[in-house]
Amino acid sequence: MRQALTWKLLAREWRSGELGILLLALVLAVSVVVGVSSFVTRLQSALLSESARFLAADMVVVSRTPLPAQWLAEAGQMGLLSSEGVGFPSMVVADVDHMALVSIKAVSAGYPLRGALQWSAEPYGVLRSGGAIPQSGEVWLAPRLFALLDVGLGDEVIVGETSLTVSGAVRSEPDATTAVFGFGPRLLMNTADIEATGVVQPGSRVEYRLLLGGASNAITEFTEWVTPQLEQGQRLDSVEGSQPGIATTLERAQGFLLLAGSLAVVLAAAAITLASRRFAERHTQYVAILKSLGAQSHEIAQLDGRSLFWMGFAGTVIGCGIGWGLQELFIRLLGALLPVEPGAAGWQPALIGAVTAGVCLVFFAWPPLRRLGQASPLRVLRADIGVADVQRFRDFLLGGVSIIALMWWYSGSALVTAAVITGLGVVIGLGFLAARLLLSGGRSVGGFAGSIWRVALAGLQRRGRANALQMVIFAMAIMLMLLLSVVRSSLIGQWQSQLPADAPNHFLLNLAPEERPSLEGFFDNHDIASETLYPMTRGRVVSVNEAELPKWQEVEAEGAPRQREANFTWSDQLPRGNVLLAGDWWPADSEVPWVSVEEDFAEDIGAKVGDRLAVRIGADTLEVTVRSIRSVDWQSMRPNFFMVFPRAVLERFPGMYMTSFRLLPEQKPLLNQLVSVLPTVTVIELDIVIKEMRSVVDQVARALELVLAVILMAGGLVLISGVRSSLDGRLRESALLRALGARRGLVLGALWIEFLVLGGLAGALASVGAEVAAWGLQTQVFEMTWAPTPLMWCLGPLAGAVIVGALGVWSCRRVVRVPPIVLLREV
Amino acid sequence: MIKVNQLLKTVPTADGDLTILRGVNLEIAAGASAAIVGASGSGKSTLLGLLAGMDVASAGEIWLDGECLSTLNEDERARLRAEKIGFVFQSFQLLPALTAKENVMLPLELAGVPDAGGIAERFLAEVGLESRLEHYPTTLSGGEQQRVAIARAFAREPRILFADEPTGNLDTRTGERVIDLLFDLNDRASTTLVLVTHDERLAERCDDRFAMTAGELSGP
Ligand SMILES: Nc1ncnc2c1ncn2[C@@H]1O[C@H](COP(=O)(O)OP(=O)(O)O)[C@@H](O)[C@H]1O
Ligand SMILES: [Mg+2]
Repeated sequence: MRQALTWKLLAREWRSGELGILLLALVLAVSVVVGVSSFVTRLQSALLSESARFLAADMVVVSRTPLPAQWLAEAGQMGLLSSEGVGFPSMVVADVDHMALVSIKAVSAGYPLRGALQWSAEPYGVLRSGGAIPQSGEVWLAPRLFALLDVGLGDEVIVGETSLTVSGAVRSEPDATTAVFGFGPRLLMNTADIEATGVVQPGSRVEYRLLLGGASNAITEFTEWVTPQLEQGQRLDSVEGSQPGIATTLERAQGFLLLAGSLAVVLAAAAITLASRRFAERHTQYVAILKSLGAQSHEIAQLDGRSLFWMGFAGTVIGCGIGWGLQELFIRLLGALLPVEPGAAGWQPALIGAVTAGVCLVFFAWPPLRRLGQASPLRVLRADIGVADVQRFRDFLLGGVSIIALMWWYSGSALVTAAVITGLGVVIGLGFLAARLLLSGGRSVGGFAGSIWRVALAGLQRRGRANALQMVIFAMAIMLMLLLSVVRSSLIGQWQSQLPADAPNHFLLNLAPEERPSLEGFFDNHDIASETLYPMTRGRVVSVNEAELPKWQEVEAEGAPRQREANFTWSDQLPRGNVLLAGDWWPADSEVPWVSVEEDFAEDIGAKVGDRLAVRIGADTLEVTVRSIRSVDWQSMRPNFFMVFPRAVLERFPGMYMTSFRLLPEQKPLLNQLVSVLPTVTVIELDIVIKEMRSVVDQVARALELVLAVILMAGGLVLISGVRSSLDGRLRESALLRALGARRGLVLGALWIEFLVLGGLAGALASVGAEVAAWGLQTQVFEMTWAPTPLMWCLGPLAGAVIVGALGVWSCRRVVRVPPIVLLREV
Repeated sequence: MIKVNQLLKTVPTADGDLTILRGVNLEIAAGASAAIVGASGSGKSTLLGLLAGMDVASAGEIWLDGECLSTLNEDERARLRAEKIGFVFQSFQLLPALTAKENVMLPLELAGVPDAGGIAERFLAEVGLESRLEHYPTTLSGGEQQRVAIARAFAREPRILFADEPTGNLDTRTGERVIDLLFDLNDRASTTLVLVTHDERLAERCDDRFAMTAGELSGP
């Protein structure tokens, strides 16, 4: 067929509106996929920088010896930003009566590369951030050091051999939780003054940190370059795993977003498939007439191929545009909430959109059209030929496999894909089973039911195959919507329970036993809620079952058992928030040398229940037997311990106490009083970190909601096109019924029943599928605990029935509005 | 022009094979007009579909203008239809998205005939629809739609025209006008006309008459 003619025919076919419906489905599908996936990509980059903020960099090289200057130079060559730092514990002296053990951190220009350093001119004064670090010759002190040292702004303090001027209060460092140099309040200074202090000597406890920031490929390049050169006592800290609490939050959020994206792919595929099916059905007559007029199969194939190609092309282009607008809108909506400028989305989302459209067209739209082109033109003579076989199992299989591949490619997770596919598989399997039983076996019911029911059931059964397919598609769409809602609620629930509003936000360490009454008195006076006081002793596990453990430095193989140092405590009950994994708890007042070990710690030293450990505390060695293995909730903000002993066993070792407590923002100045009453204690302020974590969770939760909304919309659109795909047949039959004298009430009532039954069944199936998939996702992907969601089991069928029923009757409303003769002529 | 030898058509159905045509023989001279009459369901449309190469026979031979249909494949039969055959259907079979003129242009364009538009206008004028060129089928009455279909069938100047109950969906008077038109155009173009009808009066206007009873054709 000549080019010009195919174009002409295409243009005319466009007028018929059938291509328009297909195009609309394509545009919707592509824009949802592109919108969600580019939003997700951009959000991911924002989330990654979010976690980078807890490291103050994208990566940190940590070393116990000075870092070679060449590393810095190489990093610069690779286009990375860098900033050097040093950390060590030391004494700071104000005068003879005022001195304190502090954790010193020296930073250089550029610090922090990620996140913000917050400081104030006076202790607990107005927070400031941006750009500044202590200049050479100056120090910033943690607020309570002002009281402890009895100094003010402009006073001098002595660090080692040099004297420095106090010029500010350091309030929050982005990497406060990842760069800890011993206990004690923070003193922040400039690396330029380190030399002069003379404190940093070979052999002293110093940590050198090289902060690096830049594009991820440059970071990877540097990592590959530096890793082989790392020596003992040197390591790389990267964003992953820098902050366990945030890391899992962000990981789960990413998992959710990728899940949402792959659901978008499935929904898009469903929408395109439905539209193609309808297109193919409506196209049959057109092809038959063309053939009766002498058009050859290959010409028709060419025409159809070209239509599909251009529809796919136009759909992709328009869809990409709309999708881009959608994600831009989302980013704007989140706007102020995002801590950092979200990265670029790149071309991948558009590619995914285009491939989704292409795959759906090739596997779902093209096969029926191709067969149509080959079919006999006899259809113009006999209306009953040629439609029955529009779509074949093989096409569905091929298409299904390619959609699975797409999902996998998109989510990058076989587990996510498997969970969703399993859910969908359950829906499809049960769906066709139910269709078999109910839609075709309901004849006996129809026999004694009233007349509306009979009409409705007859309708359901007459279009049994089409209805089964339609119900499965409804069920799939509803399932995906339910699944995402369920996963979202449980994720957000989990996050909120992780950081309850009344969680402790300060840690207090180094409390001497005789100071306990005054601390408890202080808490009582000021109405401060605190955890129990835990005694704390530091010790080291040196052997397991008489076998000496190698020292940390001597271990070669990764993960091999080794000596470990840890904080010990005693308790006669299982500490709050801990869970016994093996063994049991000792009876109260036990004097037997038992120990309960935290699971990861047990793995590190290679111990299990019943093993005998030798534990060195100070100069003493203690022989104990492992009675239980515990898991600990590290995100609980409560004191947590690797090793717990019975009271009688540990009490005789000298130790300090620790606890955590909660201060309201307006109680902050109490800290000054506290450190003046108890000058030797160390207080770690976590409130700022907690606040940041909570704001991250809020942002992420909001982002998830936006994505959920889009997916719900996409699901709704699939439902609408599902209803529309069966419209012709229903309209014709209803018109016939009316022409035969049925009341409008009867026709409408039968339609209601038909759609309510379809929707309710679909909703019930969807609940089953969603539960299966949610189980898979929550236990396998998100590593959360799974609980059944009875609410969904009620809501699913109800929502399905109501939504599908309303959509269906609304779409068919013309049946009762328009005179039947008009309808019969049209269809 | 048309010669049919021992034509057999069997179709598979749920209750086993159904024989629709049981050894049909037929011969129609070039330029002649032939009527096939018979009860509904006797196999007339099936025969016409086979003659037009839209379906394949189970056995037997069909010769059209010197070509044996059974030796042609689907595409060759399509070419044959495009070059030599016109068809008028009981249910018009116009494309709803195309205007009257575009419907008539379609076969011309498919065959690559230049000035399809001009030819289409001329033929629509011949069927009295010169004022309805840009109208869509749904806005035309049944008679008008069938006239468009007739214009479409003749526009390619086919050697053979098949008409399957062309008046079946029309009232008597409109039907008569359509038939007049059909015969008129047929005479002028000296086309070979094969007409399926159950209207005896219509059949009488044809040169030859065949009667179809339960898949068997009895001759002129
Ligand atoms: N493809 C087919 N499958 C099953 N039955 C068919 C098929 N084609 C025709 N028939 C049956 O063959 C008989 C003849 O049909 P047809 O040729 O349309 O009759 P007529 O045009 O004379 O009314 C009818 O009973 C019809 O149902
Ligand atoms: Mg017939």
